[in-house]
Amino acid sequence: MDTPATVVVRDLRKRYGPIEAVRGLDFDIDPGEIFGLIGPNGAGKTTTIECVLGLRQPDAGTIVVCGLDARQHPQAVKEKIGAALQTTALQDKITPREALDLFGAFYRTRTPTPALLERFSLVDKADATFDSLSGGQRQRLALALAFVNAPTLVFLDEPTTGLDAHASRELRAEIARMKDDGYTVLLTTHDIDDAEHLCDRVAIVDRGTIIASGTPREIMNRSKARPTITIETTVPALDRLEGVVPLLEGVVPLDGSGRRLRCRSASPAEAVRVIAGILEQHAIGLVELHVQPATLEDVFVELTGHGLGQPDVQGPAGSEA
Amino acid sequence: MSAAKAQLISTLRLHFRNTMALVYSYLFPTIFLVAFWMLYRYDKVPLLRHMGELLTVTALGGACFGLPTTLVNERERGVWRRYRLAPASSLSLVGSTLVARYLLLLVAGLLQVILAMAIGMPLPTHPFGLLVSFTCVVFAFLGLGLVIAAAADNVPAVQALGQCLFLPMLIIGGVAVPLASLPEWAQRVATFFPGRYAVDAIQKTVSGDGLDTAVFSLAALVVIGTAACVAGVRMFRWDAGERFVARGGKGWIPVALSAWVAVGVFAQTSGRLTSSAPTVEATRAPAPTTSPMASATATEAERAATSLPAPASTPASRPPAPNPPSPSASPSPATPSTATPSSPPAAPAGASASPAPAAAPPTAPIPPPGPASWQDVTVKLIDEEIIFTRLPPDGGVVTPVAEADEVVGDEYVNDLEYIRTSLPQWAPAKVADPLQRVRNLLYVAAVPDVFQSPLERFVPPIVFERLRADVPEDQLVKILYWIAVHPMDGDDKAVDQMRVLGLGNGPSDMNETRQRVGVYAVKLLGRVLGRIKASPSGW
Repeated sequence: MDTPATVVVRDLRKRYGPIEAVRGLDFDIDPGEIFGLIGPNGAGKTTTIECVLGLRQPDAGTIVVCGLDARQHPQAVKEKIGAALQTTALQDKITPREALDLFGAFYRTRTPTPALLERFSLVDKADATFDSLSGGQRQRLALALAFVNAPTLVFLDEPTTGLDAHASRELRAEIARMKDDGYTVLLTTHDIDDAEHLCDRVAIVDRGTIIASGTPREIMNRSKARPTITIETTVPALDRLEGVVPLLEGVVPLDGSGRRLRCRSASPAEAVRVIAGILEQHAIGLVELHVQPATLEDVFVELTGHGLGQPDVQGPAGSEA
Repeated sequence: MSAAKAQLISTLRLHFRNTMALVYSYLFPTIFLVAFWMLYRYDKVPLLRHMGELLTVTALGGACFGLPTTLVNERERGVWRRYRLAPASSLSLVGSTLVARYLLLLVAGLLQVILAMAIGMPLPTHPFGLLVSFTCVVFAFLGLGLVIAAAADNVPAVQALGQCLFLPMLIIGGVAVPLASLPEWAQRVATFFPGRYAVDAIQKTVSGDGLDTAVFSLAALVVIGTAACVAGVRMFRWDAGERFVARGGKGWIPVALSAWVAVGVFAQTSGRLTSSAPTVEATRAPAPTTSPMASATATEAERAATSLPAPASTPASRPPAPNPPSPSASPSPATPSTATPSSPPAAPAGASASPAPAAAPPTAPIPPPGPASWQDVTVKLIDEEIIFTRLPPDGGVVTPVAEADEVVGDEYVNDLEYIRTSLPQWAPAKVADPLQRVRNLLYVAAVPDVFQSPLERFVPPIVFERLRADVPEDQLVKILYWIAVHPMDGDDKAVDQMRVLGLGNGPSDMNETRQRVGVYAVKLLGRVLGRIKASPSGW
């Protein structure tokens, strides 16, 4: 990269009493990219974001945002960042228009309220009180608030948490649009779909450190995780396949009938051909067969030994609540 | 700058959209106002002497509940966390929140004053002074509100903590219950609470002599407010999850409270208490000032009350009145400056010489075989029978007596002067029987007391002055004793002739009125005999 990174974080450390929430994080966010911090609850993602935003004082490390040392110039950094944090609710009786006017008054440069209402489809609800907004509308308002200061960098903390499928789909479209508009976006998520489909690059955070980073594809390629093959047959076929095909690793039944099986293979195309041959040889009918490439979730489990949905017991309780 | 302004406007706007906030800010104070109005319905000037209490309750409610409830609710929602993402300085955001609350309380306070004036209260004597003292009061209490907001983890905790400050301050802090009616220990405790200083500072500007006389209270409020604001800002939490991890935390609570202690200790040791409040005068109670016999008369009164039919046998008879009204004969001149301080410290002495509290019970059960008529009373008998140390305090609610140098509110000067000049011509004060005459005059002191009229403290000195001018001292002493011991005797029609003096007629509870007459008789008796220390310039 020739252009200097928008965000540079080096050796970031933060502890809460006996718990070391962040222990030596390094990452760069390049201009115009969508960068994802992925990890389970309690991995240290929110603490990291809060340190970059100036909400928390790190114990050690360097944070540079748009060329400014964030620890030396917290106010100047705040001017450049727009953020939508998880669990931000506003006062019951404030309206989107008033909220945008209020928060806009806190910044030197600002996006006009009507433009924000327009862009985030809040025109109809501009004068409705916050307590009458739906979850999706509240989320759009939170996003609109992140843009009141015409930021160069947008932080989204767990943006899809708590949204229904529809609102979640809208939000993804909105984030994709931010990228098209040239914004640099940092998002944290424990939703693997978000990360795979939205992010240009991701960093996997576990127990306060980054254990892998790169584009989603790079990470998956680097992984030893194999594509999954799922088979459904007319009669049980476990005996026929188990141990017979050297290409298949660990054939497991998916239910009691023994007609549904799953296995992994490093060369799925070859494996499928062999499976088809064996089934034909034994006159077993094939109901369904599909091949699923390895996912980030697989990579994550492979790297950490636990799933994304499980909170890391070592994490600081409540820091990401 | 513009951030603070935007936040201020937003806070005010949201306040007026929040029904519960409006109930707390405006309905509750109005309920208090109506309650006080009914409670003190006999006050000649409605609410005038209670604005200090009312406005303090308003400010206290807004600070202990209104401010922290809003702050904590917003913090729990994440509003303050969101504010913190913006480059606006924390001082401007917290500051504008406090200013908004100050403006809201100002409106609430103004509403109270307007309502009170609509009911009949005159304009406060020092409107600008009132603004200054109310500002100091709000400052002190908002600081406490900030501390509560920082110490409470959630809204229910605000309610709990707020009540911990609110209720004690109301009940034993001199805010809702007048200090003078509290036991001495509570009055001492109250010196450590900001409430009484708030009441004093406001009251002095509503019906008193203005800010000059409330300097100590104002200073106390500023000290308490500053300590609380510093602590509140240091403890300020932006985030519900923060729980003091970041800062010095709860260590600042003692800092805030240390200002209360400092003010209380200073008040106690410097003797500032006397001058700090009219309502509070009684606090000078460090006892030497002699709260003369009370229970002696009380038991007498009770005895008389329980044996109502009997005492009529030895009643006021119709003694022949050796010297009828002869003002010249009396030792005391017309001006209340006689200064008979012949025995100022003699009061305690006389007190301890007399049977003292321990002897009170014996007095009660054995009805005094006593003299057959008032003419037979002797000073020796008086000293044996009456315990001057057990009277209700002059600064209290029951049978108050103003000190000679106590300043009368402008609005009352004329009323009092009218009473003073009318008394000699007042028909009940001209009856031939000196015993009945003295009784009648003492009713003039007792009736305003029963009605809790604002004049109640100032009328007794006028009555005492008149009595000493009217009745020769040797007779007066005997008659006063007689009335003290037989408060239920004699005629009480005089109570229905008060209106010509500008006072209210006929209290419904004559037992009560007669007992007050008995107590006033003892209070005057003690002064005439030098058993009670006369106030500095005496009368």
